[in-house]
Amino acid sequence: MAAVYKSLSKSSASKADRDTEASKGGMERKNKQRVLILSSRGVTYRHRHLLNDLAAMLPHGRKDVKFDSKSKLYQLNELAELYNCNNVLFFEARKGKDLYMWFSKVPNGPTVKFHAQNLHTMEELHFTGNCLKGSRPILSFDGAFETEPHLRVIKEIFLHVFGVPQGARKSKPFIDHVMGFSVADGKIWVRNYEIREVEKVKGNDDKDNAEDGEKSKGRKSKGGDKDTDISLVEIGPRFVLTPIVIQEGAFGGPIIYENKRFISPNQIRAELRRAKAGRHVARMEQQRDKLARRRDLGLEDGEKKDGTGLDTRELFA
Amino acid sequence: MAKKGATQSPKAGSKLKSAVPDHKPKTKKIDRRKSNELAAPKAVDKEDEWEDEDSDDHEEPAPKVNGSKTAKRPAEDADSSEEDSDSEGSEDDEEHGGIDLAAIDDSDSESELDSDEETERNDGKGDRGEEKEDSEDEEDEEDEKEIDVDELSAEDEEDEEQIAAGTRVRQTINNKEGLLAALRRFALDTNPKTVPFAFHQSVVSSKKTEESIPSIEDDLQRELAFVNQSLEAARQARALLRKEGVPFTRPTDYFAETVRSDETMQKVKAKLVEEATAKKAAAEARKQRDLKKFGKQVQVQKLQERAKQKRETLDKINLLKRKRQEGGSAALGTTEADDIFDVAVDKELSNSKSSSKKRGAAGDGPNPKRQKKDTKYGFGGKKRFAKSGDAVSAGDLSGFSAKRMKSGGFAAGGAGGKKKGVKAPRPGKSRRKAMAGKR
Repeated sequence: MAAVYKSLSKSSASKADRDTEASKGGMERKNKQRVLILSSRGVTYRHRHLLNDLAAMLPHGRKDVKFDSKSKLYQLNELAELYNCNNVLFFEARKGKDLYMWFSKVPNGPTVKFHAQNLHTMEELHFTGNCLKGSRPILSFDGAFETEPHLRVIKEIFLHVFGVPQGARKSKPFIDHVMGFSVADGKIWVRNYEIREVEKVKGNDDKDNAEDGEKSKGRKSKGGDKDTDISLVEIGPRFVLTPIVIQEGAFGGPIIYENKRFISPNQIRAELRRAKAGRHVARMEQQRDKLARRRDLGLEDGEKKDGTGLDTRELFA
Repeated sequence: MAKKGATQSPKAGSKLKSAVPDHKPKTKKIDRRKSNELAAPKAVDKEDEWEDEDSDDHEEPAPKVNGSKTAKRPAEDADSSEEDSDSEGSEDDEEHGGIDLAAIDDSDSESELDSDEETERNDGKGDRGEEKEDSEDEEDEEDEKEIDVDELSAEDEEDEEQIAAGTRVRQTINNKEGLLAALRRFALDTNPKTVPFAFHQSVVSSKKTEESIPSIEDDLQRELAFVNQSLEAARQARALLRKEGVPFTRPTDYFAETVRSDETMQKVKAKLVEEATAKKAAAEARKQRDLKKFGKQVQVQKLQERAKQKRETLDKINLLKRKRQEGGSAALGTTEADDIFDVAVDKELSNSKSSSKKRGAAGDGPNPKRQKKDTKYGFGGKKRFAKSGDAVSAGDLSGFSAKRMKSGGFAAGGAGGKKKGVKAPRPGKSRRKAMAGKR
């Protein structure tokens, strides 16, 4: 009997809950994200600092020691499971200069691999912006993210990795920075700005301004200081991502997108080297041709002397 | 479809040969040979083999049709063999003489280079290409139906080889269905009707940022576009969050750890200050430089002016002098005009050499400096007895002091009787002389 009562009361209670939640906006939709942040061996100081910057911005992240392998990336799945993470942000460094960033949803995909360029860490960029450690960012996506399926996947993965979930353990209750993701030139440009609320410039009524200043100090709950304007100050870091490949699984599975515009940095370097070598080869060839031509025309020094017999040494011997 | 007979370019033929699995055509050929021998024993030739491969090519993508084709084949073969039998009887005989099937297989690509056949081939090339395209279209359709990445990649490779023979382009995989399926699997619900904004806090801007960037190389324009995108998002987000009653602004008395440490911010500040001072110093230096340049100009101008003035006066003098000389030589009797002129010359001269002459003219003595020195050191007059006393000096008692008199220093010393303790002041010159005379 008690069990029946319990179940009944529970159902009714849950129903009531659901109603309230529906009005509030759905509590059962829990956004639980944890990100495992780690790098491979052989990263440069800049890669490492960028990793630290990102880790500082993600209170739901867990930084781990360097991962030893570059071929067996599927082992990261187990590692993530070990740490209770459902996202992996993996920095793979190649040749001590190229950085590839892997974003992966761990249990069952997808995985996006990017080539990261133009890295600038927070410290080396002398920007004046600053924000709370662990405050939830506003994620600003370019309109282009909605156009292509692969960009939509990328956007969703960014939302999971960079978006701090509501009520994350170490997150702060205020919102003071924006992360911008823009698509330009086939690449994704990532920026981070502080939101600064400034007095509106054209505020003609001083008294009104003062009032609003007090209001903001008094920590209003309803839409209070409407007249403060927003300005952005960059914080850093900056980096540019070129999508290379999207896999269906987590560090595995069939490839569902491949960027044909991506050219590997190795190839670019090789091309440069070849171009440089080509100049030398061309010059040598020209020289050889010239010699051959001269020989054909009988303009070589020795032959000329013999042929004409007009050399001073011969004439006045 | 294979009616054309020998209509394939040798290159394509060899390619097909490599593409088709080896064992399959061989066995078929053997079959065919048998049938041909049955139908018309003389009719086996290269043409048939070409046909054979053509049909194989079409069979590959759609193996289901295989049965019907094979059923049709004997009839076709018979037709073609009838057509060609007269022209190539000799070759056939040779081949049949030694029934070496492997040899035939090898030969079919090389021995085709007979002249009459080549012309035919050239004629039929265009048609052949069209047929190929058709077959590819069929393949594409199949791909779209069943999305299999392996198959896709295989087909793509073939395409690459045919289309861009020289330039190596990356394979393009863009499996939209797969992408969308993957997206559906892990996407968060961000529908604004069902989910509050604070849940995800992501804003997708309405327009593409790339459109507002005129040139990707232009850093300023590009960053401005990015900032504008984020600014718009921030405004929108703030409005939405306020509507939902989520705290947005950090109160001024809320202190917590920040992303960038205080040291870093200090460094940033120091750098800013340094930059500002450097700028200021540079501006100052530039100003100074300009001023200097200007000052120099002024000085030069002044010097020039002075030189000009001098030149003018000298000219004037010379002119006057000359005129005077002329006047003097011409007329001995001085006219009134000459007198006036003389006065004018004097005036001019006095004007031009005013500075040096004026001083001399003003005093009646020889030279003010001399005069001054004369007053100081004396010049002229008697020097003797200048320092000797007279009635006035004797009457002057300003140097006398009763106190001193009483102390007796002077008098005692003068008397010669020495008192202990008090040092006698040095006597005057005359006294000293007198004392010297006494000794």
